[in-house]
Amino acid sequence: MKPSPFVAFMGAASSLLLIFVLLPLAAALFSTTPGSIFQSFGDPEVGRSLALTFSASALATGLTVLCGVPMAYLLARVRFMGKRVIESIIDLPIVLPHTASGIALLLVFGRQGILGKFLAPVGLTFTDNLGGIVVAMAFVSLPYLVNLSRESFALLDPELERAALVDGASPWQAFWHVIFPQAWNGVTSGILMMWARGISEFGAVVILAYNPKIIPVLVFERFTGFGLNAAQPIAVLMIVVVFGVFILLRFLMQARKEE
Amino acid sequence: MKRFTQALTGFLCAGLLLSGCGPKPKTPLVLFAADSLIQPFGDLTAAFEAEHPDIDVQAEYHGSIQVMRHVTELHVKIDVVATADQALIPLLMYQQKDPETGKPYAAWYLRFATNRLALAYTPKSQYAAEINGKNWAEVITRPGVRLGLSDPRFDASGYRTLMVLKLAEQTQGPVDLFSRVFAGQFTYPIKVTDEAGLTRIRVPEILETRKDTHLVVRGAAMELLALLESGDIDYFFEYESVIQQHGLKMVSLPASLDLGEAAENPNYGKVAVLLDFQRFASVKPEFRGEQIGYGITIPSNAPHSKQAEEFVAFLLSRAGRQIMERDHHPLFDPVPADGYEALPPGLKALAAASR
Repeated sequence: MKPSPFVAFMGAASSLLLIFVLLPLAAALFSTTPGSIFQSFGDPEVGRSLALTFSASALATGLTVLCGVPMAYLLARVRFMGKRVIESIIDLPIVLPHTASGIALLLVFGRQGILGKFLAPVGLTFTDNLGGIVVAMAFVSLPYLVNLSRESFALLDPELERAALVDGASPWQAFWHVIFPQAWNGVTSGILMMWARGISEFGAVVILAYNPKIIPVLVFERFTGFGLNAAQPIAVLMIVVVFGVFILLRFLMQARKEE
Repeated sequence: MKRFTQALTGFLCAGLLLSGCGPKPKTPLVLFAADSLIQPFGDLTAAFEAEHPDIDVQAEYHGSIQVMRHVTELHVKIDVVATADQALIPLLMYQQKDPETGKPYAAWYLRFATNRLALAYTPKSQYAAEINGKNWAEVITRPGVRLGLSDPRFDASGYRTLMVLKLAEQTQGPVDLFSRVFAGQFTYPIKVTDEAGLTRIRVPEILETRKDTHLVVRGAAMELLALLESGDIDYFFEYESVIQQHGLKMVSLPASLDLGEAAENPNYGKVAVLLDFQRFASVKPEFRGEQIGYGITIPSNAPHSKQAEEFVAFLLSRAGRQIMERDHHPLFDPVPADGYEALPPGLKALAAASR
């Protein structure tokens, strides 16, 4: 059957957008030899950096879940004054230039910062170490977790929770056994998006922690310090790895949904 | 909802329109300069644009080696290049050819100014009350003191810092100053070799600090300035001009160490820094200690060489000199030129042939 002009228009517009995303990725992929990508894999600095990037973002996401999911639930289910303001505050890190976020974080977590000053004596420091990377990644990417989880909670029928409470469940039990499992798909999307956004962060991290180098910092350093040929294989490696991990995770999530 | 959609559409359209309109386009003049020139060249640029309203100076500031690499590796079309180490211009721009024109990236430069290195700090720095010209080497190696280092692979002040510390160790001590500062700090160490009166400091291709080090490395000295002001580092070696521009405190170094005195060249020349690049670069740059010299040139592939010439002439003019002096970065008088014969005719009268 021939698609209607309306669908054809929608399809053409979508194709343009897809090409816009895929073309730079394909250009990067095809202008690098497989040999140089494999060589990057063997580069100890790249390997370390890749592991650091993925694990720091996972840590940032894991820690944010502890506060982000309760906040998402509150925003979705409870009416209170100033809710709109809180929603705007949560969205702020998306709008702020990430270098500005980095500076703001430095003023709080730096050695002389509001919190940094008190945390340093107990051995918690945030410049040029994992701690700095984690707070920078968490700050810029937490809106994705909170917003997607909030949408997921908001979609659930409030009757379900009420029924659980009427049947004698405590609010905790209702949350853990009824609400949370139902919202889980949305929350995992949020977790995934936050983790992914954390991996790609550069601006805020580079101000707090230039070392140890996460992949975006390493790519930037190789690019400005040594040129395109030094940076490109790592950039392509990153594209390949992230694409692979994402496809796998989406596949796993889909499989779970179908279960 | 309808009102909201209308407002949003109006907002986006206004943004699009605003981005499209504006005064008539100006000739862009792309300037890449060492980040220690950011303040004087910022003032210079403002004055130059006021005199040439048809020119829009688009300036970018980086570590000096990064400035060079934008020309030779990233093939950015640049009109004026100014570095904190004039030696980089013959080393990287004379020797490499633009693949498009087949000509070397540059055939001349003007050595327009010098500087001195000093130890920058703030009243917040640890032991700020007791540091002085005699005890600085001991103070910066005390436990808990955090020292900034601009990356010697990318920034001239970084490799000059290595030279200063080595020279200090050799002349005033402590005898293990260099290793006190650098040993155990990096995944791949900075090595030192001594051959026939020359101490060569070898910087590895990968320079990554270890966990919990007292050294804080950043790509360029300007990034350290912010960390000094925020209290995240206590001290770092910076050019005196920059320290004065920012009103910071400093420990001045003797002429035998500050790399600012031509008469001390035989002494400075006892140390050299080799960037021990194995994979990414065809040249292994080596820098011999010498009096600091800032270099400026117009690349052979500059898209707006006429305007670039006007900019360099403005720097050397009376007005340009006054601006540089006001920003604590006076020019040489006269300004010596390397490759004098290749200088654009308009600049020949303003420069002197180099020795």
